[in-house]
Amino acid sequence: MMFSEPLRTGFVEIWSHKLRSFLSFSAIMFGVAAILYTFAEVNRMYERREKAMDLAGPGRIEIREDRDKEVKDSGLSKGLTIQDAAAIRETLPWLYMVSPSARAWLEFQHGDFKSDIQVEGVSLDWRKRGWVYTLRGRFFDEADVRSAARVVILDEPGGWAEEKPFWAQWWKDTDFQSFVKHNDLLGKTVFLKHQVFTVIGVLRQPPKDKDPRWFRQGGGGSAFVPISTAQRYLTSSRRGDAPNPDAVDEIIVDTGDVMTVPGARRAIEALLDSRHRGVKDFKIDDFREMVQGMLNRMKEYAVAVLSVGIVAILAGGIGIMNVTLATIFSRIREIGIRRAVGATRLDIIVQFITEAMLLGLLGGVAGIGLGLVGLNYLSREGSEQIQSLVWWHFLALLGISVGAGFLFSLYPAYQASKLDPVDALRYE
Amino acid sequence: MIETTDLVKIYGDGGSQHFQALYGVSLRVEAGEFAAIMGPSGCGKSTLLNILGLMDQPTSGTYSLGGERVDGLSDRERTLLRRHRLGFVFQSFNLLPRMTALQNVCLPMSYAGLGGTERRARGADLLRRVGLGDKVTRTPLELSGGERQRVGIARALANRPSVLLADEPTGNLDSRTAVEILELLGELHGSGMTLILVTHDRGVAERADRILHVKDGRIVEDERLRGNGKR
Repeated sequence: MMFSEPLRTGFVEIWSHKLRSFLSFSAIMFGVAAILYTFAEVNRMYERREKAMDLAGPGRIEIREDRDKEVKDSGLSKGLTIQDAAAIRETLPWLYMVSPSARAWLEFQHGDFKSDIQVEGVSLDWRKRGWVYTLRGRFFDEADVRSAARVVILDEPGGWAEEKPFWAQWWKDTDFQSFVKHNDLLGKTVFLKHQVFTVIGVLRQPPKDKDPRWFRQGGGGSAFVPISTAQRYLTSSRRGDAPNPDAVDEIIVDTGDVMTVPGARRAIEALLDSRHRGVKDFKIDDFREMVQGMLNRMKEYAVAVLSVGIVAILAGGIGIMNVTLATIFSRIREIGIRRAVGATRLDIIVQFITEAMLLGLLGGVAGIGLGLVGLNYLSREGSEQIQSLVWWHFLALLGISVGAGFLFSLYPAYQASKLDPVDALRYE
Repeated sequence: MIETTDLVKIYGDGGSQHFQALYGVSLRVEAGEFAAIMGPSGCGKSTLLNILGLMDQPTSGTYSLGGERVDGLSDRERTLLRRHRLGFVFQSFNLLPRMTALQNVCLPMSYAGLGGTERRARGADLLRRVGLGDKVTRTPLELSGGERQRVGIARALANRPSVLLADEPTGNLDSRTAVEILELLGELHGSGMTLILVTHDRGVAERADRILHVKDGRIVEDERLRGNGKR
């Protein structure tokens, strides 16, 4: 038989019962929109992962303190120190970056303004990776680090490149961020923990909607000082239990190449083990593990959204099944007429399946439209996410929705085909 | 040529709930003959027509269409025969209300796999032949009873069947329109088509070459009015 007749009748039926048709395909529409969103989100995350890996360094290894009370009490190890970083640099001179950092929450003061902020002491290597800032003024130099100069670089929020999305209205700058944003402090003196520091630079963050970093590296201090300065003036007494002026919170290492990570990691682990007298008070993560962790979380998220989408499509399919069954009851006589003029049972099955597939197709098209509109207006990276979609995403979505229409109309269509033509013609 | 032998039709399971509509009906209608099946309501004439039209199957007995046994065929085989060799005209027209007159006429052709252009051309021609050349785009609701029946006749002729079966084709029409429809059917018969018409109206039945009187599921009289059925 020709497909033009079922198609034509399908369109006529859908058009004649617009509300019923809309209700029956709306669940598919929402499901498709959810799946489209997932496709876009996952694709965009993969793209960002690539960029973030480039930015953060492909050979990134993070060494952090991992001390429980027992280890602290043993007194065998001083924990992670600046000397550890120096030893790593000395043992593995080919490493691209060895960047120790120490952080502390301190009181910032300028004029009448006071606020507790996180200050991060960093080495010169710090800027080798994850540099996304626009710098006004200058960065630290060798002399600043050597002399533990009381100089500070402030972190300034980047705001939004485009209009702030409505869902981010709660995303407010802290008092300190507002203060830095609205006061030009470059070259001014400020107080950190009641000590005078000179602001030598202001690091402006990229706009939040254009930030290429997948995650904030280095913990995101509000102000940066040379690590030597931090240890001498700011962080030395922060650990009441075991004061250690050389302590650092983390050492970020970049081998420069993902291939050299395993070897470097083993070497660093062995070095630190011997320096810490076998006390396992540090934890080493390499970027591959972090990326894998992120990917796993991303997958869980994608699976969750996909599940919602699939459940919605299943609900839509059941809706289509329900509507198709109801439609059959209201069209029994029509089935009888079609059978009388020469429609086989298969023709009747094709007729109802075609109509349901059309409903599914409409749901798919509407869902893609809804998904694109949603991405464009609701998502922070809507336009990039839309660009990350490829043709087969749309084809797959249409296939899923048309497939749902097909699958869920099989039973009703089969029931319709079983109607006896004589009985169907008598039906009032 | 249509021939049945001892056709029996029992509805139900054959137990206490069963109902026997036909009791051993044997008949023979020659090609090109115009036969009327006449009888009161509930006598089994529509059941007989449904079996002759391959819409229903007899419980027992044989049925030959064009010399070929068609009782016991599968649903699909009967449908294909019905599609190509039989045309149905109904008392209540049985047009699809959301389709135009032309689309209704084209429906059997679409099931027969005819291309759109040929379908539309043949459909328009058929509507012209039944006097509705100017109403091809009207839906059934926009047509009078007589016009609807003309569309029904045009649809029955769509796949150029050799046999036309009409179940009380004038039952829902006023007498003037009924005459017009009967004249149209007469013209079709005149062009060589085998015509079997079911009616309870003697005036309608007398248009046929012969009247088969059915009573209580049996043919009780074969009344020949004119000719020998061969034309």
